[in-house]
Amino acid sequence: MAEVVFSNVQKKFGTFTAVHGLDLNINEGEFVSLLGPSGCGKTTTLRMLAGLEFPSSGDIRIGSRVVNDLAPGERDIAMVFQSYALYPHMTVGDNMAYPLKKRGVKKAEREAAVAKTAELLQLTPLLSRKPRQLSGGQQQRVALGRALVRDPQVFLLDEPLSNLDAKLRGYMRVELVELHRRLGRTMVYVTHDQLEAMTMSDRIAVMEGGKLQQFAPPAEVYAEPANRFVASFIGTPGMTLMDGDLTRQDGCWTFSAPGLSLPVGPLKDIAQPGPACFGVRPEHVRIGEGPVSGLVQVVEKTGHENIVIIGLEGGQRLTGRVPAPQSWTIGESVRLSFDTDFAHIFAAGTHGERLNLTQAPRSANHLNLTTVKTETQS
Amino acid sequence: MMPTFKKILFNLFAWSIVLAVAFPLFWMLVTSVKPGFELFRRPPTILPETWTLEHYWKLLSETNFLIYFRNSIILSTATTLVVVAVATLGAFSLVRFKYRGRESLAFLVLFTYLLPSVVLIIPLYLLMVGLGLSNTIFSLVIAYTTFALPYALWLLRSFMAGIPEDLESAALCDGATRMGAFRDVILPQLLPGIISTALFTFILSWNEYLYALVLVNSDASRPLTTGVMNMLISSFNIEWSLLMAASVMMSVPLIIVFAFLQSYLTRGFGAGGVKG
Repeated sequence: MAEVVFSNVQKKFGTFTAVHGLDLNINEGEFVSLLGPSGCGKTTTLRMLAGLEFPSSGDIRIGSRVVNDLAPGERDIAMVFQSYALYPHMTVGDNMAYPLKKRGVKKAEREAAVAKTAELLQLTPLLSRKPRQLSGGQQQRVALGRALVRDPQVFLLDEPLSNLDAKLRGYMRVELVELHRRLGRTMVYVTHDQLEAMTMSDRIAVMEGGKLQQFAPPAEVYAEPANRFVASFIGTPGMTLMDGDLTRQDGCWTFSAPGLSLPVGPLKDIAQPGPACFGVRPEHVRIGEGPVSGLVQVVEKTGHENIVIIGLEGGQRLTGRVPAPQSWTIGESVRLSFDTDFAHIFAAGTHGERLNLTQAPRSANHLNLTTVKTETQS
Repeated sequence: MMPTFKKILFNLFAWSIVLAVAFPLFWMLVTSVKPGFELFRRPPTILPETWTLEHYWKLLSETNFLIYFRNSIILSTATTLVVVAVATLGAFSLVRFKYRGRESLAFLVLFTYLLPSVVLIIPLYLLMVGLGLSNTIFSLVIAYTTFALPYALWLLRSFMAGIPEDLESAALCDGATRMGAFRDVILPQLLPGIISTALFTFILSWNEYLYALVLVNSDASRPLTTGVMNMLISSFNIEWSLLMAASVMMSVPLIIVFAFLQSYLTRGFGAGGVKG
């Protein structure tokens, strides 16, 4: 068990910078997810930690050792690959014993360790089979087994569930969390699936364009996204983001967009009057009554709830979420209001910083908003 | 009716091609077991009236055939070993290592393969004389390596590119060194490629004639191709019976090897064609 520290780590491939000055402190025994869209640098970061890529600058530390120049085998890590990377010519047992063999563990000890891990992962009946004779889920467990058998300081998992079907993925998520709880080892998990990151992690490092956007517990990433990118990336369906303008009068801030004008809470000192972005999650949109009016454009029925997409008077679209019995028909005119305590204001730009001074409250405080007609409508 | 007619037509066509290819081989086999007096009889006998193995016996007991055979075995085996060893490591480097000019290097290697072999004979001969290697089997090993290696390298490169990089990465994370990962994980995956490359190189070396004719002119070093020609074909006479018997014995090793490993060879050509 060890902490993992990235200090100003940069990785360049030729002229392309894959990771920009990354600073990340992962605590001992923590389960951290690196989350982001394709090409955000999360896998490169994990591969640098594994020793499969070397940083162009900066330091990576595992425990007390700076591991920049150490080969993967010297880092005391184990990695599970997206493709599982099982050795096709070896049996399940040999696959699992390979890391021990490479470290000079005696045959009897190897066999005992493999048997113990196989028992843990319910792989015992499969030990003499070749990987091609296993199902996807079984192969995934063997890949995990090969990582577990050696009891390394840090586990690295590179999208290990992405090749499984939805049901098995859900099952394995629970298994992994249980495994982490039992082993207490540091785990670094790369995924582009926010559901995996949200449900499994102690903290999530959201990355984009090779830069760390936010590093916080899942609830905080969801409730207080550091910037507009994190706000848009986290949450399904996504947060509604509306561009507009911030104005300040008598110390009070107001956000205006076509068809909308709403007072906003205290903002950080860096907030400036001018272009800004208003964000609200679907569950904080109240459909049925309120001062805002719109037309229902799409209703997505998921069984337990309905996702309603509403077009506002000013041409903006927003997404609301209501429990399943409630529904609206397409084309229906509806009234709306927002839980403004849960609404966000971001600075202009795709990565505009969240400007709200206060933290998101624990309980909903339902406030109706005033609307003004836009100049074109008046 | 029409499909049946088409089927018969296709079958006839296919069998006529098989016949055209197989007949010379059949005739070679038949001629090698006919007694001398029956060879030039008109009309010729399809199957010999009298079967004999005298030509085989004569070839083995009274000529240098066995020396040439041994030379060919040594030559082809040595060439195959050198080519496979160098091409495997070369392909590993071209596919897995990152360095400037890697792709250019691969194409440059292929470019040498595009040169007609005749162009290289005189420079190679002068080189061998300069190195004091002329008239040795070793000179042929070097010469054959020069034209077998580029193709082998590209063939193995295609196979290597088909092996997931994650396998090697996993072995490295599991504690293997780079060479350890190559030996434990890459080589077993590459085995079909290695076998097809080895077959290709062996067949090429076994059948090569031109370089052997120019670079070697002593009986002690001649391989089968030039040895048999030199021994049995002169300006005045061709020993047809012995030549056919020699041809049969020259073909046997290849047929045996090919029969067992032909699936690898076709897989190799597939890999070269599709991925290369």
